[in-house]
Parts: sequence; structure tokens; C-alpha cells
Amino acid sequence: MRPRQRRALLRGVAIYVSAGAVLLLMAFPLYALFLTSLQPESVIRSRDVRFLPDTLYFEHFRAVLTPGHIVPLREGIGNSLAVSTLTALICVTVALPAAYAFSRLRLPGRNLLLGGMISVYFLPTTIFLIPMFVVFVGLRIDDTYFSLMLAYSGFILPFEVWILKTFIDRLPPEIEDAARIDGCTDLQVMMRIILPLLRPGLLAGFVFAFILSWIEFLTPLIFTSNVKITTVALGMFRSTIDIEVGQQAAAAVLTLLPVALVMIAFNRLITRVLLSGAER
Amino acid sequence: MTAVAKARIAATGARRTNRVRRRGHMRRREVARAAMMIAPALALVACIFAYPAAFTLTLSVSEFDMVRLKLGEFIALRNYADLFDSPGFIDAVFRTVYFGLLIALVTTILGFLIALLLDQPFRGRGFLRVMVILPWAVPPVVAGVLWGQMFHADVGFVNAILTRLGLIDTYRIWLGDGWTALHVIAVAEIWKAIPFMVIFFLAGLQSLPRQVFEAAAVDGASTGQRFRHILLPLMLPIAVPLILIQFVWAMKAFDTIFVLTRGGPAGQTTTLNYFVYREAFQSFDLGRASAAAYTLLLVTLFVVLFVTLFRRFLARHAEARA
Repeated sequence: MRPRQRRALLRGVAIYVSAGAVLLLMAFPLYALFLTSLQPESVIRSRDVRFLPDTLYFEHFRAVLTPGHIVPLREGIGNSLAVSTLTALICVTVALPAAYAFSRLRLPGRNLLLGGMISVYFLPTTIFLIPMFVVFVGLRIDDTYFSLMLAYSGFILPFEVWILKTFIDRLPPEIEDAARIDGCTDLQVMMRIILPLLRPGLLAGFVFAFILSWIEFLTPLIFTSNVKITTVALGMFRSTIDIEVGQQAAAAVLTLLPVALVMIAFNRLITRVLLSGAER
Repeated sequence: MTAVAKARIAATGARRTNRVRRRGHMRRREVARAAMMIAPALALVACIFAYPAAFTLTLSVSEFDMVRLKLGEFIALRNYADLFDSPGFIDAVFRTVYFGLLIALVTTILGFLIALLLDQPFRGRGFLRVMVILPWAVPPVVAGVLWGQMFHADVGFVNAILTRLGLIDTYRIWLGDGWTALHVIAVAEIWKAIPFMVIFFLAGLQSLPRQVFEAAAVDGASTGQRFRHILLPLMLPIAVPLILIQFVWAMKAFDTIFVLTRGGPAGQTTTLNYFVYREAFQSFDLGRASAAAYTLLLVTLFVVLFVTLFRRFLARHAEARA
């Protein structure tokens, strides 16, 4: 073998060995979770570990989705769907005009204002949750959808403004100027010109806000004690009795699945949003 | 100068002042419009962030009546002094910084290496990229459950694999020991954070000027030299902000700790953020909790400032040497 060939071969071996290691580290834990959720408890408990399934067993999923199960997953999924969808709508609606103003209009100190809004993420969430708890309990609106949506919307909003702004920044302002010369009012410019052009941005904003509300854990942990308004992320920890490993895995899979599907469906859009931050 | 010319100049002047005045008017209208559009967002942010942050600061220096939910007397820094006297708090501060730095550094190094790998052309790269990005879609709670099952003392794959490889002879109770439990939590956090790092490093690598590397290769620079003298300096400006963002996130880790250990055993996995939760919502001592929350903020800012200054120092040092 020539030295050149030998080097190419070595390089190939090195690449595939490291690719295998990376795959093991990143993908195996997820595979293991799915595997556990699909195996009967006896197989999970046995010390004779199998990495490939002999049979697929769907009983855990049926069990955790039964009404009245100690893991209130049914209620959780329903509540989270409602709360996350409404939160995402609120976020997009409130953030859109602000994002437009930050992107297009000359406002003294707007960069400072935007920077200030974004920098709240440096602060630990608990700083905001302690007084909110006091106020919500005082007003007796803890344990309601409303308290969750208010808290979520506030937490997500600065990020939402930033996302929508990156999309508006990329629209050419000449189109709006032309529409104004043709006699469009501000509202008409917004409704007829910006909104249709901004569709990918609005979608990205909605998806991010939805996902961030769906995975929120600390806020509902503090604000909800009633099982009726528990959220999906919280549902698994509301029961005091230790549940079976397989059922826990099934509940985890059901919590993960909607977010994972959305992420995979909008993979390119999401990557684009993240990277537009890196361009700066 | 003729009278006509004078009149013309006067007219131009008048028109100009007119236009300036009109422009000033437009500017004021634009500012008003911008303010109106930003107002709802700003109001919400003020309600959810600014007011609570101020309230917590007040709480941290006052007495608080938990039954009637009323602020009491001003007690200056007594809550802070109490905290620093209480057992375990100082430990929690150091543990939090260690935890944050560990996660930030390991995530950055692994993220960079994986991005380097994904930057090479090889068959199956697209598949591997999707697999690497996937943990990003995992909610933190699920990441906690998942790694809890991996490290489960009886049914976990980690014990099974390590036993089969002959690395351990008895099954270990990973979450039963403070030191290993803290690192299991770190593993869950790192695993979840790697995709974010990879996305940014990969974008950074793909935007590098290829000619520089080719020129260096022509000049006889070895792979190691190119890595050390070209790639690393070019990637450093991307890496430092990523490390800082990661550090701030790790300082706020909560879900994984709650799911995996609830701060135990014996408080040995309690970071400051978890400490705040415990004081506020289990002991209902809001004053102490608020003081701890602001300590966490100060510690975070201190480390961020330190890293930024250190990086500036390094850059100046490198310049001076060159």
C-alpha cells in the first residue's frame, strides 16, 4: 500500500470510529427510552439486558393514557395543548408590532431597550417567580390557566420580539415605501404587505413560543396544585407513588413526541432562526 | 447681487426651514408611533420581569409576613448574613460555579469536536447530523427521566454496559452518592446542550476562508499546526460567547436536578437555583430565598465578567507577542 492510500484509509477509519462514538453518545439514550417504553416490565427488570427487542409491547402507553391513571397524562396533554397554543398566539400578536417598530422606526435608545429586554435571560427565573407567586396567591389566580399563560407569555416575549425582528430586518423596506406612496395607511401596510411576506417568520415565532411553553416545568410546578390544570411536563411528577419504569418511559415518550415532531418538521426554519443570531 | 437673486436665496432658506420643521414633526410622529407599537410588549415585560425583579430585591432586605402576604420592616442585609451562616450555603455557591463551568467547558469542547467531524465529507454524514441535533428537541424534564433510567441502579443501561465490558463488577447506585449524582445531572445537561453548540460551530466552520488553510498547507504547515495556529484563533471569537451563554443556562438548571435527585442525597446536588426553589416554595422563607436568588445573579455576573476580561487580556497578550 502506498503511504497516500494508507493515510486515506486511516482517515476513513478514524472518521467512522468517532462517528460511531458520537452516535452512541447522542442517539443511544433516546433509543433506550423508546425501547424501555415498548418492553414489558419483566424484560425491563431482568438483568439479561437486550439491546434489540424480541416483541413490542404497547401496554404502557395504553395504561398511562387511561383516564384516572396516577400519571395525569391525558389532562396534561390537553391542558398543555391549550395553554401552549394560546400563549404562542399572544406572544406573536404582542411581539409583532414591537418587532416592527424595533426594526423599522427610529426611536431614540431602541438598541438599549431591545438589549435590556433580551438581557433579562441572564437573570435566574426564580427571581421573577417569587413575587409572581405572592401576587397570584394574593389575587387568588394561582391554579388557573390565566396565571400560566401570563407568566409564559412574559418569559417568552423578549425572545419572540428578537425572532420576529430578524425576519422583518430581512424584508426590503422599499416595498412598504411604494405601498405608502400608493396611499396605503400604516394598518394596510401591516396587513397587506408585511403579514403575507412575513409568513415564515410568524410560523417560526409560533413554533418557538409553542415549544417553550410546552417544555416549561418550574412555572407550573409552582403555580398549579390542582390536577385539573396540570401540564404535560408536570404530570409525570404529580403522583407520589413510584410508577413502573416502563410506564414512566411511555409518559416521557408522549411528552417528547409532539415537540420532536414539530422540531423535525421545521428543522430548517429553526436552524435558520438560530443562525441569524450568529451572523451578527 | 441682484434683488431677484436675493429673493431667490431668501425663498430657498424659507423652504429649507419649513422642510426641517416638517421633518422634525414627522420624526416626533414616528417616535410616537414606535412607542405605541412597543408599549404592549414593554408593559408585559415590565409586569413579568422588571416589577418582580425589584420586588425580590425588596424582599431580600425586608421581613415578610407569609400569612398575610405583606412586607414587613427593612432589615438591611440580615437575610444575606443568615444565608452565609447557614450550613451548606457556601458549599452550594461553589458547587454551582463548578457545575456551570464544567457543563460550559465540556459542552463547548464536545460540541466543537463533533462539529469538526460533521464538517468532514463522509457517507452517512446527513444521518449523523440529524441524530446529533435530535436531543435538542427533548424537553429538559424528559432529559432528566431519560438519564435517570440510563443510570438507574437496577435496570439502567449504564450499569449493564459497564458490567459487560468488565469495567465494574457490581451494579453501582449512581444517584445515591452526591459526587456521582452531580455528574449524572451534568451529563444530562451536557447531552441536551451539545446540539446548540454543534449548530453554531458548524456554521462557524463553514464560513471560514478555505484559502487560508490551503495556503498554509502549501507552505508546509502540518495538520496539527494548521489546527493550532489557524483554526483555533479563528474559532475563539465564536466560542467565547457560546461558553458564556452555556454557563448562564447551566447556572439556571432546575428540571434535571428536580427529576434526578431533588437536590439530594443530603443536599449534595443542590445548586443555588435549586436552593432558591427549596427555600421559597418548600420552606416558604421568601426573604432568604430572595437573598439567595440575588446571590446567584451576582455569582453569575461575576463569572461572566471574569471570563470576558480574561479573554480580553489573552487577546491583548497575543497581540503584544505578535
